Amino acid sequence: MQIVRTSKNMRGSVQCDNTTMHLLQANDFVADAIRQEVRKRNILLINIVSSAGSGKTTLLQETAKRLKDKLNIKVLVGDLETERDAARIRQAGIDALQIVTGGICHLEAQMIWQAMQKLNLDNTDMLIIENVGNLVCPASFDLGEDYRVTLIATTEGDDKPKKYPRMFLTSELMLVSKADLLPYLPFSVEAVVKDAREINPTIEYLTVSSTSGQGLDEWCNWLLEKVKEKKETTQEKELVVS
Amino acid sequence: MHEISLVRNIFRTLESNFSFEELEKINAIDLKVGLLSNVEPMLMQSAFEAVVSAEGKFQNTKLNILLVPILVHCTTCDQTSEIKEYNFVCTVCGKPNNNVVQGTELLIERVHFN
Repeated sequence: MQIVRTSKNMRGSVQCDNTTMHLLQANDFVADAIRQEVRKRNILLINIVSSAGSGKTTLLQETAKRLKDKLNIKVLVGDLETERDAARIRQAGIDALQIVTGGICHLEAQMIWQAMQKLNLDNTDMLIIENVGNLVCPASFDLGEDYRVTLIATTEGDDKPKKYPRMFLTSELMLVSKADLLPYLPFSVEAVVKDAREINPTIEYLTVSSTSGQGLDEWCNWLLEKVKEKKETTQEKELVVS
Repeated sequence: MHEISLVRNIFRTLESNFSFEELEKINAIDLKVGLLSNVEPMLMQSAFEAVVSAEGKFQNTKLNILLVPILVHCTTCDQTSEIKEYNFVCTVCGKPNNNVVQGTELLIERVHFN
């Protein structure tokens, strides 16, 4: 019981134990279960977030082309409606499952857990979640991921991080996408990195373009490196246990 | 944000912690909301009213929202400072800092009974 009961019959006011009256408690509980499951299975879990239309799906199609022979990748993609994005990713040659949220503005851990039961995760190296296009709500929902990657397109404006601080605060990597358009837009990579680092001094960044291919090798190498690190840390833990 | 579903979470949390008789006597709920929680107090109030009128529960209950600022703790100076305008720096030494110790809360802090 999480509340200190002074009598059988409540009167006056009752101080609640903060950790147990947390409104996202159910989500965080499932997120921890996901974290344990992917650790057990040696899978790197990536949560990709951005505004709508900044190029998440296109980036994943290009990522699939470059990494499908090196890694066993599975993708879960969230949208309010339609199967379109999952179909696009499958065309690029990797297994993708669509989560249709039916109007919900973000993915919750419970949706990921249920979708994971439908995927064959044997021998999977990396599971990528493509979140609903929204920089607000997905920021509050832990999905059990190892890394949160935020895309910001050059068409969006370089002042976004301060407008959506929690997303940039909780991300480990920022991808500046549609970099091929930089010559035509008043967008400064330097300014967006400065804005993001005022919120999150440790955030890494890469400049990428799915159209020209710029930065995609670096992005793929970043993923390969994180998959390797995850496997190594899991093995170390196994050694300690045995 | 998704204030309606958060209000439903409040109801669910209370219903799983208190008996039917106790729920009847709740006249106020104090919610602690951090500036980083992406919750807008005014929308939360309207969502609360909307769910109350739709579900007929908690008709005599008031929702109090306590908005709390973002605080970071600097391990170098062992000081806690408030973050203004999302400039995540320690106000004592001026170094960048994102060690948030307050500001992401979304909690029922106190429940008042008749």
